[in-house]
Formats: sequence, structure tokens, C-alpha cells
Amino acid sequence: MNPRRFVVRVFAMARKEWMHLGRDRATVLFALGMPVILLVLFGYAVSFDIDHIPTVLVDEDWTPESRSLASHFSSGATFELVATVGSAREVERLFREGHAKVGLVIPKGYGRELARGNGRVQLLVDASDNMTASSVLSYASRFNVWKNHELLRVHFGNRADLIEVRGRALYNPAIRSVVFLVPGLIAMIQSMMAVILTALTVAREWERGSMEQLFATPVGRLEIVLGKLLPYFGVAMAQLLLVLALATWVFGVPIRGSMVALLGISTLFLLATLSQGLFISVMARNQMVATQAAAVSSMLPSMLLSGFVLPIENMPRPLQIMTNIVPARHFVHALRAIMLRDADLSVLGRDAFALVVFALVMLVLATRRFPRRLA
Amino acid sequence: MSAIIEVVGLEKRFGTFQAVRGVSFQVDRGEIFGYLGANGAGKSTTIRILCGLMTPSGGTASVAGHDVASDPEGVRFSVGYMSQRFSLYPDLTAMENLDFFGGAYRLARRARLRRAEALLGDVGLSADDPRTAGAMPGGVRQRLALAAALLHGPQVVFLDEPTAGVDPEARRTFWRIIRKLSDSGTTVFVTTHYMDEAEYCHRVGLMVDGALVALDTPSGLKRAHVPGRLFAVRGTGLDVARLRELAGVTHVEPFGAGLHVRGDLLTAEVLSEAVRAHGGQGVLVEESAPTLEDVFLAVAARSSAG
Repeated sequence: MNPRRFVVRVFAMARKEWMHLGRDRATVLFALGMPVILLVLFGYAVSFDIDHIPTVLVDEDWTPESRSLASHFSSGATFELVATVGSAREVERLFREGHAKVGLVIPKGYGRELARGNGRVQLLVDASDNMTASSVLSYASRFNVWKNHELLRVHFGNRADLIEVRGRALYNPAIRSVVFLVPGLIAMIQSMMAVILTALTVAREWERGSMEQLFATPVGRLEIVLGKLLPYFGVAMAQLLLVLALATWVFGVPIRGSMVALLGISTLFLLATLSQGLFISVMARNQMVATQAAAVSSMLPSMLLSGFVLPIENMPRPLQIMTNIVPARHFVHALRAIMLRDADLSVLGRDAFALVVFALVMLVLATRRFPRRLA
Repeated sequence: MSAIIEVVGLEKRFGTFQAVRGVSFQVDRGEIFGYLGANGAGKSTTIRILCGLMTPSGGTASVAGHDVASDPEGVRFSVGYMSQRFSLYPDLTAMENLDFFGGAYRLARRARLRRAEALLGDVGLSADDPRTAGAMPGGVRQRLALAAALLHGPQVVFLDEPTAGVDPEARRTFWRIIRKLSDSGTTVFVTTHYMDEAEYCHRVGLMVDGALVALDTPSGLKRAHVPGRLFAVRGTGLDVARLRELAGVTHVEPFGAGLHVRGDLLTAEVLSEAVRAHGGQGVLVEESAPTLEDVFLAVAARSSAG
């Protein structure tokens, strides 16, 4: 094979694909608009930060002490007092009707008992939403400790021997879940977009009949595959940069690490996912099948097996091993390392290696399974 | 003259369906070779095999010295192919289409643009035409497809029903280009189901149900398959069955709105008398020259009877 001729044909193919894209405004609009919409939609919707929890108060004591406790409890952004009712029974009714999730019950005699060093209150939680429930309970125990410290200081002054554990959250000081989630979101969105972009290209040629004309020319399979990969790489890179810009400006996600490393790992990831799309396209032969296969094969793994939401360490061993063949998993890991922690580049080695292997396997498969004849 | 296409016992099966059954023929350099047959007779399949697009199930075929089964790459460099369905890119202009396919044939950019411009001129198109292929009328689009098939200067072009669905004027233009190609030494292998077009071919092969049932020059085919004198009979109340029993009549075929009647010892007078006698009204009988359609009908009737 003459390498110059090879390049001529790959570029002829790439130019042609680029022109198709130029003429196809709907696809370009979809390619650039969809990631933005997805990121904004998911970025605002998917949040583990739980606040403004609707709370009911039952104050059977009605003393200055009870009122002080209630106002302390609901003073932050976590709980929002929505009603004050007469009994715990009514709290349950509000739970069932979905109007409240937390009930603070201050029993009669709380003020008196508190003076004797035995103040007790009850916190009711609707645990059908376990995420809110565990968040509420952990807040309650923190509230408990903090309140007790306060009381001890009041009674004993600074003579009290108190242990205080002070946590300091590194890399995400406000512990905003969006900082953790957005890199995963980017990986998921880009997995889907890249696979869908290329999944249609070969299938489209089959449907249009131009594949037959292409087969009549001496153009090689690898030349077709690479020629189709190049322009879509450009589009996918534009998408990724757009989404990254949005992540920093709209969601305030930092990019602490090196931009070069970020672009490098992104290149490998895009090559891997675009090749996956090409392979699907080669196998599918029509655009409908290709779209569905692309959506399923990119969305599910990148959502469930990437570590984007569900921690990989908690998965059963076989599933953990499986995540290695999910490009998004490596990209999520690398993005978090680079963007949030400015990690040493050596931790990216494994990810880079996995992505290169994945891309190569997909390219080889796409090329090998590419027919050279009609029948 | 030496044969540029050699086909021996060619077969193609799709599962249990036999699309091509033991076809053998040769095509000479510079010849316009017509392949005639009904839809589904195996014309397109034969062309696709000869272009290296399909592998034969049996037999051998070589084009420009390359075996289609073992050296499809060599075949692709020596042949141009225009498929039945328009298969260039509808969203690209004429020039952009040719630019791409030139690249696919490994022509360097500058060379292929020059070549594309010249070819577009040859087929009566302009390199500056801003229309996309999808926006062109059928006849223009077909000429563009032909230009694309000729980009790399192939020795043989295969044209699969190039004029299907094209208006008569555009068909005539197209055939002028085909004759010019042949004059300049390019071999043209063309399928059609327009019988009048087949008359332009140097030789015509007739395909029925995957078999090549006749092959000769148009006049040779007529002599061999439509012997005797041929009369066109028009009128109403024509009784085909009675006419077949008439003395001296060998064949009666429906032809257009009337009938074609053949026989050795017939005359127009005798025939028109007989037709009237059997209930024909407004009868008009004229001796006419046999056409390839008569050949096709005679051969097809014989093949399906046998």
C-alpha cells in the first residue's frame, strides 16, 4: 500500500463527510445543542444536595426552651417549616399525603426535663425516601452534638473537656454534589453523543445506495473507516469543549489540572467512543437499528457502570471487572482527577491505556466486519 | 479484436434462488454490448459480479484480464460502474461528487479536479453548477453518474439501466455519449429494457430467468428469431386463437394496441381478408420490419414454453 495514496483517499473521504455535515444543518444543530441541553437539564436535576426539606413541628411543651429549640432546628436551609400541628398522629397524616418528610416532636415537659439534664425530643422521618432520610438523620445527630456542646459551655464554661472533630472538605469545600457529578455527566453525555454521531454515517450510505458506488471504487475499508472518523472527531471535540466551558461557567466546576492532559485524555476517549459508533454502524446497515443500538450501548454503561453516580467500589466483583471495558468509566475517573484534584498524571496511565485498547479493538472490528462486496 | 470480458458458466445463487444460471459470453474491446431482459432476469446481478461487487457462486469471469473472484481490486481499477439506483450523494454538487469519487480512485486532488471538469464538459454539464445532485432532473443526474463512472479512465463501463425513468430526449442525449465512448475505444456494457435502445448496441444478449437465451447483433437476432414476413394488424374484435389456426401463420403476438402476425407464405391481402372473416372490424394490416421486441417476445415465449 502506497502511504501517500492512502492519505489521499482518507482525506477525500473526510472532506466528503465534512461537506455532508456542512449541508446537514439539523445534525449540526443537534450535535451542538443536545449536549448543552443535556448538561443543563441533568446538571440542575441530578443533585444530591438535600435542603428545604418540608418539616412539621409538634410543640406540646410550648415553653421558651421548646420554642428556642424549634427555631434553632429550622433556622438553616436544611429544614423548612411548613406546618405546626397538634399531635404526632397528624404528622403521619402529612407524611402520607406527601406534604412533609420530617416531623419534630417536642413532648410536654421538655423545658422542665432539660433543666434536669434530660431533654428529649423526637424526630420523625419519612424513610420511604432513603436518601433524604439518611441525610436528615445525619443532620440530626450533628445538631445533637452541636446543641450539647453549647449547653455544656453554658453550664461549665471553658473548663469542660470537650472533643471537637472539625472536618475540612478538600477539593470541594462546599461539598456541592454538582462538582462531583458534572465530570461524570460530561462523560455520559459525550459517550452518547459520540456513539450516535458516527453510528449513523455508514448506515446512511447503505440506505442511500451510495455504498454500492463506494464498493465499485478501489477505496479500502480502513480508508472509509478513518475517513469517517476524522470529521466526527472534530465535531465531538467541539461538543466537548462547549460542555466543559458550560461546566465551569454555569456550574462553577473548577479545572485545576493541566489543560493539555485534559485534552489528551479527551482525545483518547472520543476516539474510543466514535470507533464504537462506527462499529455499530458497520453492523447495523440501517439508521433505525443503528440509533437504537447506539443509544443502548452508550447510555446504559456510561450511566450505570462508569462510577458517575454509583460507586464502582460498591459493585459486585464481576461487575467491577466489567466496568473496565466502559470508556466512560475511565473518562469519569480521569476527568475528576484532572479537573477537581489536579492529580499527578501517572494516575491517568491506566485510563489512557484502557481507552487506547478500546479504540483500537473497535477500529479493527469495524474494519474487519466492513463488507467489501454486496453479496 | 480481443475479448475484454470473458464469462464462462457464470452462476449466482441467493439461498435457493438462482439468479444467474450458467451464463457464458465474450465482449470485445470497444464494443457496445447490450443486455436485455425483464426485471429480475439477472441483468443487475451479472453486472455486479463483473464489477467485483458480488462473488459468483460458480463459473468464472474476467474483466480486462482480472478474475472477478480472485482479483476484485484489479477489476475495480479497470471498470466504471453506474448502478441502477442513483447512488451519488444527493446533498453534494456535481463537482463535489466527482471530487470525492476521484479521491476514492486515488487521483491526486489537482489531477482529479481537472479531470472532473473535462468530463462534466463531455457529458454536457457545468463544473460551476451550484445545484446539488438531488436537485437535478433525472436525465442530468444520470449524466453526472456516468461522468463519475468514467473518472479514472476505465477500459470498461458497466451501465445498469442508465436511462430508466428518463425522458426520451434525455435518453437520446445519453446514447450519443455512449456511442462517443465506444468510438474512443471504451467498452460499454449496458442493460436496458427499452427495446429501441438495444438497437443501438453492437451486440445484444437476451436474458430470461437468469439464463442467456440468445446473443447476436440486432439484425442477426431478428433473422434468427423472427423468420418469415411480419405483419402489424390493427382493429377491433381480433380473434387471436382463430388467427393462430390460419394456414401459413406461424406466430401471433399481442403488440402495442394490435397484433404482430408472422408467417412465411402470407400476404397482407390474404391476412386482412382472414381477419375480417373472423369478426375483425376496422382492420388495418401492414407489413412491418421486425424489431427487437418481436425477438424478445419470440424468445421469451419459447423459453417459458420449454
